[in-house]
Amino acid sequence: MSEVLVKPLRPVRSRTYLWAAGGVVLLALPFYLDRFWLQAGLFAMAAAIGAIGINLLTGATGQLSMGHAFFLAVGAYGYCVFAADGGDGLTGLGLPTWLAAVLAVLVAGAAGGLFSPISGRLSGAYLGIATLALVFIGQHVMFNAHDLTGGANGRDVPPLSLFGLTFDDRELLVAAVPFGSAEKLWYAGLVLLAAGALFARGVLRGRPGRAMNAIRDHRIAAGVLGVPVARHRAAVFVLSSMYAGLAGVLLALVFQRTVPDYFGITLSLEYLAMIVIGGLGSVSGAVAGAVFVSLLPQLLTRYSDALPLVSAPGTGGIAPGEASRYLYGAAVVLVVLFLPGGLVGAAARRHVGPRSGEIHPGEER
Amino acid sequence: MTTRYAARAAAGALAALLVLAGCSSKAKDSDDGDGDKAAGGVRTGEGISGKTITLGALTDMTGVYATLGKSVTQAQQLYVKQLNAAGGVCGYKVALSVRDHGYDPQKAVSGYTELEPKVLGFAQFIGSPFVAAVKQRIDGQDKALVLPQAWSAALLGSPYIRVIGSTYDIETINAVDFLIKEKGVKKGDRIGHVYFEGDYGESALVGSQHIAKEAGLTVVEQKIKPTDNDMTAQVTALKQAGVKAIVISAGPRQAASLVGVAAASGFAVPVIGNNSAFAPQLLATQAGPALTKNYYVASPSLPIGADTPEAKKLVADYRAAYPNDALDNGIVAGWTAASAFGEALKKACANKDLTREGVDKALLSIDSYDVGFGVAQNFTDPKAPSSRESVILQPDEGVTGGMKVVREAGASKVAEGYTPGA
Amino acid sequence: MSTFAEILLNGLSLGSVYALIALGFVVIFRATEVVNFAHASLLLAGGYVTAVLHDDIGFWPALLAGIAGAALVGAAVEFLVMRRYRGTDHSVLAIVTIGVDILLTTELTRRIGTDVLTLGDPWGDAVLRLGPISLAHTRIAAFVAAALLITAFLLAFRYTSWGVAMRAAAESAETAALMGVRLGRVSMGAWAVAGGLAAVAALFLTVFPTPGLERATSLAALKAFPAAILGGLDSTTGALVGGLLVGVTESLATGYQSDLTFLGRGLGDLAPYLVMVAILLIRPAGLFGTKELARV
Repeated sequence: MSEVLVKPLRPVRSRTYLWAAGGVVLLALPFYLDRFWLQAGLFAMAAAIGAIGINLLTGATGQLSMGHAFFLAVGAYGYCVFAADGGDGLTGLGLPTWLAAVLAVLVAGAAGGLFSPISGRLSGAYLGIATLALVFIGQHVMFNAHDLTGGANGRDVPPLSLFGLTFDDRELLVAAVPFGSAEKLWYAGLVLLAAGALFARGVLRGRPGRAMNAIRDHRIAAGVLGVPVARHRAAVFVLSSMYAGLAGVLLALVFQRTVPDYFGITLSLEYLAMIVIGGLGSVSGAVAGAVFVSLLPQLLTRYSDALPLVSAPGTGGIAPGEASRYLYGAAVVLVVLFLPGGLVGAAARRHVGPRSGEIHPGEER
Repeated sequence: MTTRYAARAAAGALAALLVLAGCSSKAKDSDDGDGDKAAGGVRTGEGISGKTITLGALTDMTGVYATLGKSVTQAQQLYVKQLNAAGGVCGYKVALSVRDHGYDPQKAVSGYTELEPKVLGFAQFIGSPFVAAVKQRIDGQDKALVLPQAWSAALLGSPYIRVIGSTYDIETINAVDFLIKEKGVKKGDRIGHVYFEGDYGESALVGSQHIAKEAGLTVVEQKIKPTDNDMTAQVTALKQAGVKAIVISAGPRQAASLVGVAAASGFAVPVIGNNSAFAPQLLATQAGPALTKNYYVASPSLPIGADTPEAKKLVADYRAAYPNDALDNGIVAGWTAASAFGEALKKACANKDLTREGVDKALLSIDSYDVGFGVAQNFTDPKAPSSRESVILQPDEGVTGGMKVVREAGASKVAEGYTPGA
Repeated sequence: MSTFAEILLNGLSLGSVYALIALGFVVIFRATEVVNFAHASLLLAGGYVTAVLHDDIGFWPALLAGIAGAALVGAAVEFLVMRRYRGTDHSVLAIVTIGVDILLTTELTRRIGTDVLTLGDPWGDAVLRLGPISLAHTRIAAFVAAALLITAFLLAFRYTSWGVAMRAAAESAETAALMGVRLGRVSMGAWAVAGGLAAVAALFLTVFPTPGLERATSLAALKAFPAAILGGLDSTTGALVGGLLVGVTESLATGYQSDLTFLGRGLGDLAPYLVMVAILLIRPAGLFGTKELARV
């Protein structure tokens, strides 16, 4: 029992060290990892930013959205349109690339705002399927508005330039390690993810977060309690779209080319899977889920030769692509049934152990 | 309290980072030259370690192009096996590193990023949008030879990405030429063109519009999506427009539906498709009889069931290796690409330069290479496809691979005078 | 004019197939308030069973087996997954069905591989000609079968005890349970019925003019989403009207594609969603859906 007395201090300390250690590792990774791993990490970071956005909307406010891929596309293509100089015959405004990135995020938010006549009125399944329409409309535009999107083969993404540093493949030697686009973007991705995560945490922990949870748990009761429901729902939709837009910009920069095939319905579903697996309604849940869902297929494909049950392509049996689909389909089902609160919720419970009197914001019902 | 800890932690982190960075294995060595000289004086570079040359194959075995991907990959694995059994290249064994991207852009780009540092080049890369996605890197710094299994005109022009055989636009020109010469389509007529949204269909449409302008035809367009499987509405619309023939640049299922509906409703116009618009599996379906009657396919080479010794040997070997799998033209495509790469390797070996540049250069010197499927490939001009010829085939249940030749390889006049991408 | 009639008739017949799928959504939604995104895989399962068995046991037994198989899969999903969920958030359950769909579809597409499976139906590619209009027999069969099934379903819904139990459960689950309605059985029955309907839909989506069952067949279920929503998710009439509306819209948008080029070509897939969004703007609960009433 004497341990209890020391406890209030220790978590803070060990947590800070843990964060610091994690930070060091993340900062040092570009010096060691191959481009493949850095790129996989960047995909995960972009997915994490997008997942934070949809977790604000679906997880915290209870608005099912299947149109996240559309807003990612708006961000990705928006950036290209603003930043390109039109040299490839496609529409390009030639703005400074950092401004283009900011504008692309704003345009994604505006697109979310334009959808508010629908998003403000519908909820549940209706909203989910109405947002599905966005994905179809988006793909139609991407394939057909050739001047804007480059059609089926997509368009090149101009590299980001910031303070005289260009995030392209020209080698830059840092401590004798050659830095290409993946290494440079890694840091940009970390900064964006950290900023996005902190902002979302602020939103969730403050008044708006409580209002959002109230709307999720009981819309009408929330309204009666004085929460401006329609305004909050529209605002969360816009905010979530902006996160998606930011994720789209980062993805475009990593891909170096945007292709319409990517922004399909599968992508929207993946984002929903991420937040369910990671944990609904929390920032860390979104990040954990994003890392899980985006790294899993990469890991399985990479090590397909060495894994049991999984066979190399062309030899029959379960291909790595299929194996990863089985795993993440099963993960969605199992997590919901056996780990309410997702991976993060489970980890937190384990950490706190039997002392668990603490209430997690995502678990309030 | 927290801030002090945080500050201390941050300082520690920074120090640790600087120390760690100093001893990275990624750091550039001073002797990182252009290539090593192995025994025998052959220059080597990326993709060769020990006694093995590694080639990459980015394929689709679980996505929309699974049928093509499976055949192409198995044919290439067969080629590599036989090449090694015959002693390999320059004393090196060749290995094929296969990654299945399932037609997912993220996996395709990741697969490229993973394999690129380890391989000499890519004998297969399915999905022209994905090739386009890494084109900057291929042309800019990687400079490895890539043989895409996508016949899009948009991929031409790079010295490293080399399309084998005629591109879709040229193939469609030859297909329409066949309709004009053999099927009585004449000046002033309308022809229908049903095509996939996306690179393949739109590339083919450029071809049909080009020859329509030259020959005084009008093209009635019907664009479809890969998820559309029922062509009733398209046939009705084309019938209404009074077309004299139909070109289809879509998948096998769409072709089967189109031909079946047209035949069943008594709309007996000839239909011709691109090489991706047929699969032998279709002959067993209800559309089978209609397909053998009124359907033609333009292909960049002779079919798998061709009457040449090389084709017969390939069929026998493939059957022995994969007894349960269908024989289709994907095998020819895969085999042709793998042998072209093999030929380039052999030339590069003779030039004593097995680096990426050496292989690129070796391929550029191959001006007439025929693997026994009736069409000679000329790789000397990166701006042009390696051939402008097409063979016109007709489905036939009695033949291996389900296709027989109705017009031998040849390039139409219009195709000869056509500049892709112009 | 004859072209228009032909396009319209084909659209109606296609729409009746969509209505079967949409009806499945509605049944599940009414019984459990869950949107079933796993419907596509139920459809594929039914079609797959029929396709595999028809060579050995003949078409009609195979079709019955397919219907039973899909119903069984549906019931199993309900029993093994949906019933185990302890929370109350229906969006979460909807996402779970996405997980189920991924699992089932991956397994089925892996089995189907690169084949195109025929279902051995008796109609073949025969075509009925009425003057200038031609209509495939399969299309007529689809229309008749859908009409029969939907009528039978509506009657059962109104007059059988299962139907009464289900309507009671939809009205208020708690009251129904207190009145002795076994909710588990009701929702399992709903899943089974939805599976059976999807299997029939699978048949008509894979016979002539389509070459056969293959991995992409399940995507047709995506077209039934707008059908169910624009009719109203809790209305069986809505599913019927929604299905027909989507079928006709899709058919017209494709058939008159050349006159709609200002919107870009290839509108067929998109048009149903555009109609759906337009209807939702005017009636947020769909054409026949009940407006949400809430007690605080």
